[in-house]
Amino acid sequence: MQKDLESKFLSDFEKNQNIVHKICRIYTTNKHAHDDLFQEITIQLWKNYTKFRGDSKFSTWMYRVALNTAISLYRKSTRTIKTQDISEIAFKIKSNDYDDTQEKQLQSLYKAIHQLNDIDKALIFLYLEDKPYKEISETLGISSVNARVKMNRAKEKLKNILKP
Amino acid sequence: MDALEKYKQSWNHQSEEKDKFSTEQIYNFTHKKSSSVVKWIFIIGILEFVFWGGITFMLPDSVYKMYEDLEMTTFFYVSSVIHYLVLLIFIYLFYKNYKQISVLENTKKLIKSILKVRKTVKYYVIYNLLGFIFGGITINFFMFSDTDKLQKAINIQNSHLDIDKVVIYMMIGQLIVISVFTLLLWLFYKLAYGILLKKLNKNYAELIKLDEHI
Repeated sequence: MQKDLESKFLSDFEKNQNIVHKICRIYTTNKHAHDDLFQEITIQLWKNYTKFRGDSKFSTWMYRVALNTAISLYRKSTRTIKTQDISEIAFKIKSNDYDDTQEKQLQSLYKAIHQLNDIDKALIFLYLEDKPYKEISETLGISSVNARVKMNRAKEKLKNILKP
Repeated sequence: MDALEKYKQSWNHQSEEKDKFSTEQIYNFTHKKSSSVVKWIFIIGILEFVFWGGITFMLPDSVYKMYEDLEMTTFFYVSSVIHYLVLLIFIYLFYKNYKQISVLENTKKLIKSILKVRKTVKYYVIYNLLGFIFGGITINFFMFSDTDKLQKAINIQNSHLDIDKVVIYMMIGQLIVISVFTLLLWLFYKLAYGILLKKLNKNYAELIKLDEHI
């Protein structure tokens, strides 16, 4: 039983791991921290997997656990982002539709997101991932109305940072 | 179009993570706590070092006086320096183990690292126990080899006392003290490192199983 559960988890997780990588990218700025956070999220996902009953999609559940892990870890630490770290990770555009402007945009987007607080990061991330408000509110455990208000503020903050 | 929309498009076009983890690595993540155990071995090693170092500095002057009377000052200093050097080497090894047992290693490498940690801890405990026994015996050897010095060191004023009898009683007493302290030291190591090694062993067994599966 345990073995079946384990292999199901592993295969689902492996398929969806890019979600966790993206979360790690917005919350950390170097490879080491990225891998640390990835491991922590994996541990939390596995710990909570028994509670996952499949009434939501695996990926939806994954967004929730992974983001909450990142937020709580980020809160505990007093780590601030050092600017020299940022250049360590290059954010790339898919090679088949490579576009120089898009790559530059992506880099400034990440740079801007890094300056947001932990909750705003999560909100913006869910916006970029094109999640409906219902899912955003469930993921972050806030009401739909509240999610809308907070999202608008987070977007404003991001726009201000992105302004040339 | 919203100013953020174009950024969103770039976001959707970003490439997938190139350093993806394999199923094996992900499995390791969920099961692995070795690196934190090894970190604790390192921390306890340092604490112990500080503790023993602190005790040496806080020894009352009378102890140094006794070493002087027994003409063992040189032995005391030389052995202390060697002892702390060896401890520092062990702490360095603990640190190296901790650094090496990176979470991203594959199973085979991790199994090897765990074996190495176990070996280092084993040698560390053996060194400490043997060092303690050897130190105790050496001090006693010096003490009882020259009864005149001993008399001076322990301040026997009463000349009616039979020094030979005193020496025999003291020897027995010393033997008991050394045995008891060795036992206590052994118990301490068994408790402090035993628990950590047990956790490590559990992880080791799981990893061996995993390695057979893959």
